[in-house]
Amino acid sequence: MAQLSQVKSINLSAALWDEIKSHCRRKLAGDFIEGETPVRRAYGMLAGDIHHDLAIVRKVIIFKINARTVEPLKSYMDDVMGRYATPSTTPLEQRGWITDPEELMASYELCDRQGLTVLGTYHMHIVPWEHDPVRDKPTRLDTVLARDSGLFMFIISLVDESRPMIRAFMEGDPQREVPIILEAGS
Amino acid sequence: MAQIIIPSPLRKHTGGKREVQVERSNLEDAMKELVASHPGLKTLFDRPALISVFINGSMLREKPVAWGSVSLAEQDEVTLIIPIAGG
Repeated sequence: MAQLSQVKSINLSAALWDEIKSHCRRKLAGDFIEGETPVRRAYGMLAGDIHHDLAIVRKVIIFKINARTVEPLKSYMDDVMGRYATPSTTPLEQRGWITDPEELMASYELCDRQGLTVLGTYHMHIVPWEHDPVRDKPTRLDTVLARDSGLFMFIISLVDESRPMIRAFMEGDPQREVPIILEAGS
Repeated sequence: MAQIIIPSPLRKHTGGKREVQVERSNLEDAMKELVASHPGLKTLFDRPALISVFINGSMLREKPVAWGSVSLAEQDEVTLIIPIAGG
């Protein structure tokens, strides 16, 4: 069985990268679709195939729901964020995202039906920090939340909306980055 | 015999298997059987409150302390969902 931990590079097509960027920009603009939690944060799942040490992204699955305010997930997130979140201009209760169980199960089922492997999740960073003006890496909080997930954490930097960037880190660990090969034209 | 559906990210603990058969007839015992046969899954139960359980596609409302009273029938399909989060 091909393992995500053996992946050394990730192939992302221009079309799928555009899909991710569109999702992020739509949420940033506050243009919400039906059933979507009205927060200006984008998060979703990337699924695809693994061939030896190469992962190929085949599908973008957006998460519409942020269960950040739903117990018992809220208490868990409040606790972790209180301990690990870097102070920012955004209040803690408006930060962080966590999947809704039913939406996540539906996403897994979709991947199984289509024969796809879940590669990881993505979310965007939009606020520049003094010590990290680009925000294209996982924060300490991201690393804690992704620990032992067995998945890549894809970080989309949208600090400069005209120059979005994407990077991939196994289990959100800044030391375990895997290069993304963006198809020409991206 | 019920079967437990393992989500894709957790299959590294089951040798890539999507389904694990369990013989026990209540959810609590079935979970213990699952962990006994696949010890890598044990850490998932460190925070049982975060685990969502679906039986035949319906989300179970009972909390983990009540799992002993949840009966499993032959052919029941149990899915475990562990949330994914980011900052």
